[in-house]
Amino acid sequence: MALPSFLSKELIKLEYSNPEIPEGINTSKEHPLKEFLLLVAGVLSSIAILILLLVLLSDFIVGYIPFSWEKKLSAPFTSTEKSIKHTDNTTLINNYLQKMAARITVAQNLPEDMTIKIHYLDRPSVNAFATLGGNVFFFRGLLEKLPNENALAMVMAHEIAHIKFRHPIQSLGRGVLAGLALSIVSSSAGDAIMENFISEAGILTILKFNRDMERDSDKAALGSLVSIYGHIKGADDLFLVLQQENKNSEPYEFFSTHPLTENRISNIRNQSRQSAASETTSITPLPNDFKRWLQSEKSEPDSGSDETDPAEINI
Amino acid sequence: MYLELIIFLTLLAFGYGFGRYAEKKHYRSIIAREKELNNIPAIATKHAPVSGQQHDSNLVMGSVVISIDYFKRFAASLRTLIGGRVTSYETLLDRARREAILRMKEDALSQGGDIIFNIKFETSSIFKGKKNTVGSVEVLAYGTALILKQGAH
Repeated sequence: MALPSFLSKELIKLEYSNPEIPEGINTSKEHPLKEFLLLVAGVLSSIAILILLLVLLSDFIVGYIPFSWEKKLSAPFTSTEKSIKHTDNTTLINNYLQKMAARITVAQNLPEDMTIKIHYLDRPSVNAFATLGGNVFFFRGLLEKLPNENALAMVMAHEIAHIKFRHPIQSLGRGVLAGLALSIVSSSAGDAIMENFISEAGILTILKFNRDMERDSDKAALGSLVSIYGHIKGADDLFLVLQQENKNSEPYEFFSTHPLTENRISNIRNQSRQSAASETTSITPLPNDFKRWLQSEKSEPDSGSDETDPAEINI
Repeated sequence: MYLELIIFLTLLAFGYGFGRYAEKKHYRSIIAREKELNNIPAIATKHAPVSGQQHDSNLVMGSVVISIDYFKRFAASLRTLIGGRVTSYETLLDRARREAILRMKEDALSQGGDIIFNIKFETSSIFKGKKNTVGSVEVLAYGTALILKQGAH
């Protein structure tokens, strides 16, 4: 619609003006934080639900894996163990630990085919873990620090309870299934920040299930102590050792694979307060020669790696 | 893990704080300058509104590059999972388009232009961050300004 050229410039402007456009047509009037919080909450809860479903699915599938398969899976472990040259002291400590395991196996009513094999590792880590096929590993570092037999029984009963509840294979299954799903979802998010966000959110959800496993094992372990010693005195000594070891470095429970050591201790103390007999009962000491058995015969440095296999479940 | 979380939250807070401040300030400036430059209409017709006896026509353009902030990017990537309006980018592009028009008008004003017709936009993301994330956006507005010939009245 060309205007005739004689029209003045004022007229042109009259015809063609840019009206003031009201704000908020092309943009949202909603506060950005409101939308953001809704999005975060929505995404986080979807991830948590996804992980929950995968964990349930994985536990369901794992339930159909017979324990004998686990034993076969873990066979390579045990065969390498045999090749280590056992010294007299190691044999003594192994025998002692294996005997104690036998008592706990009875106390926990383990199924017939669920055999426990104890391995003693001459390394300074203050740790013990249970893994596939009923294999439980004890490090010298932990055994050296335990003040009495009750505390040792607590660790062992805790680890054997993990085996009883089949936590190592469950943990492996969850790691594979939920871990795989998480990495697929996060890598297709298309954004490096998002990738991190999704995988961290997923991991924190899985940790919640880990802590549940630990609580269940603690509970079962205390039950075994009651049936072996008639009380749970001394069980908290184990956690005092751990607390001393992880001083200042324990993360908030939300970020941790385990319940807070402090909570585990107070849990034990609450329970022992409820059973009135605890005051009169006595703690069983470790064998006299225990410390001598533990004397390291080689000064092998700790491998130092904190990386654990998903199927290895610590105290 | 703590450190990561703290860094993440700090970046998010900084992104939100600075981004929001910059956006508000920019909108204030855009609205004020739009009023000021309202006497130069910018229209999209293809043909000149007057036949060119009394006017020269000149190319005028304005371009602007605006970076998104950490908060906007994160909010937008949450959107990519769910779908829906990416409101954090809407304000960004709205600002960029309006700023580009304003700069184009300022260009026209400096040449003595009265009206701009046949205006067009080009939009491009000028750098791709890690994994093709949008870093910043460029909007170019260009058109033909009519400038009254000297002595023609």
